[in-house]
Amino acid sequence: MDVNLINPILCAFGEIIPQIGFQTVQKKNVSLVGSTVSYDGVLINLSVVGSIKGVIMIGMDGESAKRFASKMMLGMEVNEFDKLAQSAVSEMGNMVCANACTQYASVGIEGLDISPPTLMIGQGGQATLPVPQTIVVTFLVDEIEVKLYVGLV
Amino acid sequence: MSTKVMVVDDSPFSRMMIIEALADSTCEVVGEADSLESLIETYNTCKPDIVTMDIAMPGADGFECSRELRLNDPKAKIILVSSMKDEETEAEAKRIGVLGYVQKPIDGETLLTVINNIMSPDSLFELLLNRGFETFKEVLAQNVTRMAKTPVQFAEVNSLDVEYTSQGITTIIGIIGKYSGSMIMDLSVETAEKIAEAILHRPSKNREEVLAMVAELANIIAGIACSMLNKKEKALALRVSPPSMFHGNNAEIVSPNVKIETVMAETDFGSIFLGVGFKKGSVLWM
Repeated sequence: MDVNLINPILCAFGEIIPQIGFQTVQKKNVSLVGSTVSYDGVLINLSVVGSIKGVIMIGMDGESAKRFASKMMLGMEVNEFDKLAQSAVSEMGNMVCANACTQYASVGIEGLDISPPTLMIGQGGQATLPVPQTIVVTFLVDEIEVKLYVGLV
Repeated sequence: MSTKVMVVDDSPFSRMMIIEALADSTCEVVGEADSLESLIETYNTCKPDIVTMDIAMPGADGFECSRELRLNDPKAKIILVSSMKDEETEAEAKRIGVLGYVQKPIDGETLLTVINNIMSPDSLFELLLNRGFETFKEVLAQNVTRMAKTPVQFAEVNSLDVEYTSQGITTIIGIIGKYSGSMIMDLSVETAEKIAEAILHRPSKNREEVLAMVAELANIIAGIACSMLNKKEKALALRVSPPSMFHGNNAEIVSPNVKIETVMAETDFGSIFLGVGFKKGSVLWM
């Protein structure tokens, strides 16, 4: 995967997250891995179709997902990762990826569209992206660890 | 039946203009709000079908209000009504999921056209809802039978309102076009291994080979089904994403934004879960 494809999605993440109730977005780590990644907790899957294709996933562990949803819902207590919390984090995925499409268009990669988000919730799972290499970016969003998996070609 | 409209604008004059524009129409103004503070409470009380939203308001602007409203109710239908209308504001509105954009000063007829277009049933989408799932089912049955030489029978159709727990291997394919959607296919490792063996005429060498077979099967089903639907109605212009695979555990699968119709396909090798759903996202700009 072309590492230049990562910047628009990073910009989108940095732009949207402060708009939905968070104060700080810190990029902690970037790594290039194969097509299969492990996950624990919640993984949001959004497919991308257009002149580049693939998938963008956003992952958090179970506790982080509840804290993330709580922050998005203006501090409302989230004890269970219920329908409302699921809807909140998937909406975040939607907003980040929709913004990313606009960011890609501004660097000449036009006509991208995204599918609705699907959530996978579970422990000890693996995800195989439809690309040989995946870029994994770890963020700290108000001290909540969020992983962004980008597999686009 | 009248369409219930809520008007959000900090200017009492602007609110009055919109209410006047909708007088003697099929719309009924059921609520008004002038800021973020009163927005959600009024919305939840008067339950409108459509919200008209100003952009420039003191405190939270129309974008922020729209975002909050869609967090409160992801199905909220919002039309921006503003004197500002440029590329950047339109792009931002689309990102938030606003359905329509009408420029001030308000022309009553234009506003009504946008409201009616958003509220009227969309025949193309109806076609997709009526024929879409059946097409995916047919294609799955034909191709599993053709490739793995097993008869396929379907159990009762459901929707993914109840949580579904994966049998072991889940494939998700995104669908893009006039409407966007997803196809989810899920089966156990054992079923996948047996199908792979039937197709390859030998046991699979490793897990990767099994996963690759499942991905290809899902790819074929989604690709052929979307092509068939496009042939029926060119304007659908459906395209599929490459498949994402999830495995190694029994994860719960949730689709918060799209209602997924589901069915279990019973084969000689075990059950294959199929889920397909589409989302209406028509954007109307005037």
